Amino acid sequence: MEYTFTKEERDSIEAICAKYPERMAATLPILWFAQDKFGHVDPDVQKLVAEVLGMPEAHVHGVASFYTQYYKKPMGKYVLDVCTCLSCHISGGYDMLHHLENKLGIKEGETTPDGMFSIQSVECLGACGYAPMMQITNDVFVNHLTPEKCDKVIDSLRAGKLPEFEAITMPQHDKEVS
Amino acid sequence: MAEIFIDNIRYEYEGNAKVLQFALDQGLEIPFFCYHPSMSIPANCRQCLVEVGMPVFNRETNSYDLDDKGERVIRFFPKLMTSCSLDAADGMVVKTHVTSELVRRAQKDTLEFILVNHPLDCPICDQAGECPLQIQTYKYGPEGSRFEFKKVHKPKRIQLGPRVVLDAERCINCTRCVRFTQEISKTDQLTIISRGDKNYPATAPDRVFDDPYSLNTVDICPVGALTASDFRFRARVWEMNQTPSIDITGGKGTNVDLWVRNNQVLRITPRFNGAVNDHWMPDAARMAYMAFNDHRISRAHLVIDSKPVLTSWTNAYETVFEKVQQVGVKNVAVFGSPHTSIEDNYALDKLFTNLGHSGALFTTHLIEGSGDGFLLTDDQAPNTSGCRVLGLTEIKPNEVSKKIAKADVVVILQDDFVGRGLIAKDDLNGKYTVYLGTNLNDTAHAADLLIPITCVAEHAASYVSVEGRIQRSLPAKETVYSSRATNTEMSVGRLDRFGTSFDNWVNDQNKVDCKPAWEIIADLASRFGFAMDFPTSRALFDHIASEITSLSGISYDKMDAEQGIVISKENVTTTA
Amino acid sequence: MSIDWKSYKPLLIPQIKGLQNLDVYEQHGGYGALKKVLAEKSGAWTTDNVINEVKNSGLRGRGGAGFNTGLKWSFMPKPDGGPRYIAANGDESEPGTFKDRQIFEYNPHLFIEGSIIAAYAMSVETVYVYIRGEYRSWINFMRKAVDDAYKKGYLGKNILGSGINVDMVVHSGAGAYICGEESSLMESLEGKRGYPRIKPPFPAQRGLWGRPTTINNIESLANVPLIINNGADWYKNIGAPTHPGPILYGISGHVNKPGVYEYPSGMLITDLIYNVAGGIRNGKKLKALIPGGSSTPILRADQIDGIGMDSDSLRTAGSMLGTAGMVIMDEDTDIVDVLWRISHFYHHESCGQCTPCREGTGWLEKILHKINHGDGEMRDLDLLLDLCTQMEGRTVCALADAAAWPVRYTITRFRDEFEARCKNTVYALS
Repeated sequence: MEYTFTKEERDSIEAICAKYPERMAATLPILWFAQDKFGHVDPDVQKLVAEVLGMPEAHVHGVASFYTQYYKKPMGKYVLDVCTCLSCHISGGYDMLHHLENKLGIKEGETTPDGMFSIQSVECLGACGYAPMMQITNDVFVNHLTPEKCDKVIDSLRAGKLPEFEAITMPQHDKEVS
Repeated sequence: MAEIFIDNIRYEYEGNAKVLQFALDQGLEIPFFCYHPSMSIPANCRQCLVEVGMPVFNRETNSYDLDDKGERVIRFFPKLMTSCSLDAADGMVVKTHVTSELVRRAQKDTLEFILVNHPLDCPICDQAGECPLQIQTYKYGPEGSRFEFKKVHKPKRIQLGPRVVLDAERCINCTRCVRFTQEISKTDQLTIISRGDKNYPATAPDRVFDDPYSLNTVDICPVGALTASDFRFRARVWEMNQTPSIDITGGKGTNVDLWVRNNQVLRITPRFNGAVNDHWMPDAARMAYMAFNDHRISRAHLVIDSKPVLTSWTNAYETVFEKVQQVGVKNVAVFGSPHTSIEDNYALDKLFTNLGHSGALFTTHLIEGSGDGFLLTDDQAPNTSGCRVLGLTEIKPNEVSKKIAKADVVVILQDDFVGRGLIAKDDLNGKYTVYLGTNLNDTAHAADLLIPITCVAEHAASYVSVEGRIQRSLPAKETVYSSRATNTEMSVGRLDRFGTSFDNWVNDQNKVDCKPAWEIIADLASRFGFAMDFPTSRALFDHIASEITSLSGISYDKMDAEQGIVISKENVTTTA
Repeated sequence: MSIDWKSYKPLLIPQIKGLQNLDVYEQHGGYGALKKVLAEKSGAWTTDNVINEVKNSGLRGRGGAGFNTGLKWSFMPKPDGGPRYIAANGDESEPGTFKDRQIFEYNPHLFIEGSIIAAYAMSVETVYVYIRGEYRSWINFMRKAVDDAYKKGYLGKNILGSGINVDMVVHSGAGAYICGEESSLMESLEGKRGYPRIKPPFPAQRGLWGRPTTINNIESLANVPLIINNGADWYKNIGAPTHPGPILYGISGHVNKPGVYEYPSGMLITDLIYNVAGGIRNGKKLKALIPGGSSTPILRADQIDGIGMDSDSLRTAGSMLGTAGMVIMDEDTDIVDVLWRISHFYHHESCGQCTPCREGTGWLEKILHKINHGDGEMRDLDLLLDLCTQMEGRTVCALADAAAWPVRYTITRFRDEFEARCKNTVYALS
């Protein structure tokens, strides 16, 4: 498949490269740039990134395969990363994972046949106090999951609406007066 | 001079030294996998761990603290250190497995870990017999494995490139291959992909590992993860004899080893020479072994009624003598060749000058742009400089046909003029052509008399590289006339020393009926009525060295001892 | 030793609405420390004086290792005219840790101000803020805050007319716990696979692109303006004497009020669990806790009496402060299952560079999986402990240690629970 960048996009890429003293350092940012545009960094996208950076293709491939957030193939429209590590593990993370698996009819690592949802079981996302939780397509966190909340999120996503960002303050602020 | 103590023995060293390389240079043994003297130091295999400590320097007394036995107090580092990356320091105390139980335990543990996911492929793995993992496990590793689970599976027998096969399960992630393509061949074709125990080397997707030096990664891979597809399942290492020689596919003079079993050269690997090719050789040069074994001219052939007919040496010499007498020596075109040795070229030139001829001609074999500034040169021949040193008359490639046109008898030594397109087959019509060569090529097919000569794998002879370095080959392959028992130049291998009468077997059909060109020419000389006899090529070379000033003082022994000698530049005009 | 925490008012994340906006931050005295320092560059606040103040304050790195921050700063060599760097480590991926994101969201300018002061002190002109890729929302918050700081002239060329230049670049990771290790972070910033480097050389000698570099945790840098504004002596007196200052405690697990809490260091663990976080949920009893992120040794409920959250106190208990990410487990928790999941984490995150970690983390998980599924044998427990010894101290970075310690200490401290799970077959180990 043919992937390209427009002139404006190439200019943005050059501006990113300029923030680092060596061009290779822009490998991760440009892989993100490509994934944000194409939804994944499959081999053809990786070749495009290598070309626009002037880096060896093997280098870009090695980097893309090391980091888990880069999708090596097209995923569902929404990727549900359910945390099942430590705090989420002991707070029902696996229960939420299984609930979603049952609801969507797929297992972790798979994508629904209609291409809407992928489920992944992931490591600690840094929201341990708000467990169990999940992340949607490398973007917004949905915290304090219950089976009902999971269902609401699925319905919302089916309607094309991403959940709002949940701002969580420190609990000790709640009882103090500003 | 700084001092370092390794296993209670004191050594002196100068400048910067890494402990592992220093220990290896002293002849000590420390096991390792990922370290390679010609590449960067990754320290990731953790096999070379040693216990290290430094003496305590007391600033007040301005001397080292001593204990009650009068020995220096040594403060050992809290963790074992990898000796490959450890800088030697004055007074450092190092303990290897020889004196440290902790180090012995660490070596065993590392090997146990490496073997956790390493497949038990030894019976089908080409690396067996020359496998550092096998050797080090035997010497330093655990007796069995405590791992009782399914090993991680990865792609097996993948054709990574045209010449290299990858078995990802065997890989121990030393990253030597990746570093080679980054630092030595600079093609950046390999990387490690994935993470943790799922990682293995690969090319970019849909790309092949066609690096012109790709087979060097097979040499340096410490396990059977990267193997040569050409050599796959051909032979076991311990069945072959290994003989040092010189690459003859180009002008660099790359040092190589020829591996022979049943008198066939089965593979060529690089031999270390710090001044020429380091540990490397180009892939193209490895294919030369096929020409040593196949399509050889075996036994002299006379072309009668357009058909080659086997004949005897005596008949061949008689024919040459007759034809030269018939036309007169001035009407003979004589061509030496940069594709063959000092000894062969010298003999040819000497024979004809003694007959009153102006001397042998030669032309260069250059392909512009085929050199890469590393080990490939524009010069396709190994001995161009040698022909110049001998004073053979050099002509341009496009002058060859003119010289042939003027002659009635043409004598060509090991240069395929027809195949190179310098002359057409028909240009030899009406001329009596004698071809002394190794292989049946286009010129051989156009000749009237074929005389078989030894190739580099069958003789000891010297060659001068484009940089003016003279080096010599050793015979690896027997001929009908010379065998391991009788040929003193053949190296004494492991099988000769320790083998039984069942090792070192040779089928007679693998022996080529040929002789060294200089020996043939000496026989010709006696037919012509003068002596040019030498008992060996070594003696012949000593004679040549006494006649040619730039070779004076050089001998086979000296070349062997110094890994080649650069002869004085004034008499050598080099072509890259 | 008791800490007066009840009257403590948060300083790192004060309860001020909209503090993440630059004008609100300025209204409350924000960037005052920076202004103070830059105004006295040749007097009270030379670069050496700033470093010494931070050193004397006793501030210890908040990323988990707890090394004196000012001392680390002093390792930077004298400037030679070439580039020097600070990499702010926002890779927060240690399970149980979720504190730095609070700073990004609620008080980013405190961190930015601290970074600029640090850059000034170490003669650095570029600060890279490496934030884990999963924190996309917080990367956006930081990008906005950095933009605002540039617009107001706190970042960029000739800051506040001082002649000092500091650039800040927000850099996103892409999903690798190992990139929180400082040399792996540098490799990742340089655009490569996150393989840790062998040390020596250390970052201050040869860091990013071969140049002198210091790597500090986000929370550590956020403490710097507090030290400059109030002085090292003031700071030394907050919390535990050998590990002073405010700490963002991340309390999660089976408590009634999990979340991030800011209190002085040295808080008693019992205070934090019962008086701050509302006690164990559902009226259950405490069984175990991990005090500072999954790499720190687990403690049983009977091991925490009188133990405070500071390095020395926790060391006496047989654990470490780490990131102060506390994971609380109640009496119904299956410890074997917890340990298996922790080992799965390390197996997933091992970079694969060096042998003991690459193979060891996988092997540990496989054995724990076997035990967790009821097929374990007694000899497996001894094998696990043996493998821990084989991994600790043998690797390029500390991930192997971090993977081995949970295994070692959880089995040691909950031995009977593990033994109850294992069949009592005894074979001779080979």
